[in-house]
Amino acid sequence: MTQRRLVNLGLDALTWLVLLVMLAPVLWLVISSLQDDRELATGAYDLLHPTLDAFTGMWQTIDFERFFVNSLVICTVAALLATAFASSAGYALARFRFRGSRVFGLTVIGTQLIPGSMFLLPLFIGFIWINQNVGLPLYDTHVGMIIVYTAFFTPVAIFFMRSFFLAIPRDLEEAAMVDGCTPFKAFVKIVLPNAAPGLVATFVYAFLFAWDELLFVANLTQDTAETIPIGIRTFIGNYQQRTAQLMAAGVVSTLPVLIAFFLTQRWLVRGLTAGAVKG
Amino acid sequence: MATQSLPETEPATVTVVGPGPAPRRRGSLRGSRRRFVVALVAPAVVFMVLVHLLPAIGGFYLSFKNLNLFTFRQLFDAPWAGFENYRTILFEDNPLRSGFTGAVRNTAIYTFWTVAGTIGGGLAVALLLNREMRGIKVVRTLMLTPWIVPSFVVAVLWQFMWQSDVGIINKVLVDYSGVLGERPVWLIGENSLWAIIVPSIWRGLPFAMLIFLAGLQAMPKELHEAAAIDGAGAFKRFRYITLPLLRPLIGVQLLFGVIYAAYQFSIPYVMFGSNPGPDADLMMTLIVRQSFSNNLFGYGSAVSVLLMLAMLVWVAIWYRAFKRDLEVA
Repeated sequence: MTQRRLVNLGLDALTWLVLLVMLAPVLWLVISSLQDDRELATGAYDLLHPTLDAFTGMWQTIDFERFFVNSLVICTVAALLATAFASSAGYALARFRFRGSRVFGLTVIGTQLIPGSMFLLPLFIGFIWINQNVGLPLYDTHVGMIIVYTAFFTPVAIFFMRSFFLAIPRDLEEAAMVDGCTPFKAFVKIVLPNAAPGLVATFVYAFLFAWDELLFVANLTQDTAETIPIGIRTFIGNYQQRTAQLMAAGVVSTLPVLIAFFLTQRWLVRGLTAGAVKG
Repeated sequence: MATQSLPETEPATVTVVGPGPAPRRRGSLRGSRRRFVVALVAPAVVFMVLVHLLPAIGGFYLSFKNLNLFTFRQLFDAPWAGFENYRTILFEDNPLRSGFTGAVRNTAIYTFWTVAGTIGGGLAVALLLNREMRGIKVVRTLMLTPWIVPSFVVAVLWQFMWQSDVGIINKVLVDYSGVLGERPVWLIGENSLWAIIVPSIWRGLPFAMLIFLAGLQAMPKELHEAAAIDGAGAFKRFRYITLPLLRPLIGVQLLFGVIYAAYQFSIPYVMFGSNPGPDADLMMTLIVRQSFSNNLFGYGSAVSVLLMLAMLVWVAIWYRAFKRDLEVA
């Protein structure tokens, strides 16, 4: 009996230790951002006298605000659109068997197999072509990046929403339709409100991934629509020695997604593990 | 897209899935229901065709073109090169080819260790967190933090931590604990591939942990209890009960983990810049550098096509191995 208690205590301690190891780099990011630039560059740090200098300085060193606002605007709009498209397509996959539904499902998964480098250049050429022939500027614009990100994160979002719809009893819509609702009305008025947690989870999921995207924004923008990852690259390229500010920029770019995640993690985790639980 | 090409006059192509009597519908309503489904799927299809599929076909086409700095103005009208790009990559002895084989080797090593570390570590941590203890809910939530940190921040942070003389990793390993006698150089040379593998595992592990933990929690307890009564030890129960039940989840993690790792770009690009050097150059950094820094667009497209072919082969292998798990998942 006592041996068992000892093992349990040991496992408890190991659990906290593993958590500490996993969180250590994040703690180090925060600690470093509270240091002095010059001292940190030589490897010295003073845990007892934290300073917020880096957090005020970073906005002057590069125009971080512009990158930050661009990221917020592009990722929010793209995640909203992806959630809207994914909820309608996911509903179709969850409720109807239509001609081509299998092909559609496979194509959705298939898009994940295409390396970004394969369609990056044609997309760039397409942007230029549309500008020349239709007069719609897409290269280096918010609209262009929103279109790209909406398309990117719609496929996975479709399966996300589908699993939420499958969990909603069909009787709800059928009762509404017996009462004279059109399928569209039943979807908008009955199903969507019941899928609200799924909508939130899908939005946050698409937002997290859009926030992280680097390859396309690096090659499809130049001045006006650049997002945070490009700002960080600019920072490294020109001010590598301002390490504390760079770490502060890292903290500032992590905070929005961290807050979004922890506010919605109950629903998000449900969406992420939907496949696992059905098992 | 198949739904869009449906002939207008065809009725009853849409049926309600699932048990229970299908609601009685008159012919005209069937038509409206079909239009409803088309409207539901259309936006996603349009975006996927315009942004994914058509440009991907364009990329495939460009891989047969001699598209470089001199012919770039001609774009899709650049001179036809046939299999020249592929021949240069695969069979000719030139600097481009050695860059390619190096990137293939690095990507294979990177993918293997990242996926093995993520899945193995994720499973181990999930088993550890599948216990009852004070504060376990908090631990499970906080454990997900690394997965939320954006890749570019992961790269910046670890690049700072890996610094040979001022980085915290060498401080811990050499100055504080004395595990190592002298300071390794992490960011240049043969260690540099590990400088991107370790952060990749660190960031990916929490997600795998989350999936496995959900699978473990959904597992019926009776199986373990019955086996324990029959005298099966912890290891045997893990080997013959837990592992087979987790197999579908492991399969899905493997499938997407390999694809995701093989297409890794952000972490090496932010940590090392556009040229990570021969020891850490991955397929994606090679393609992007050759295409956008050296303007060898035809070559870059051909490498992209080969990379995708490799992933198709992987999917086929995976399908053979995990076919029987597909019905369950």
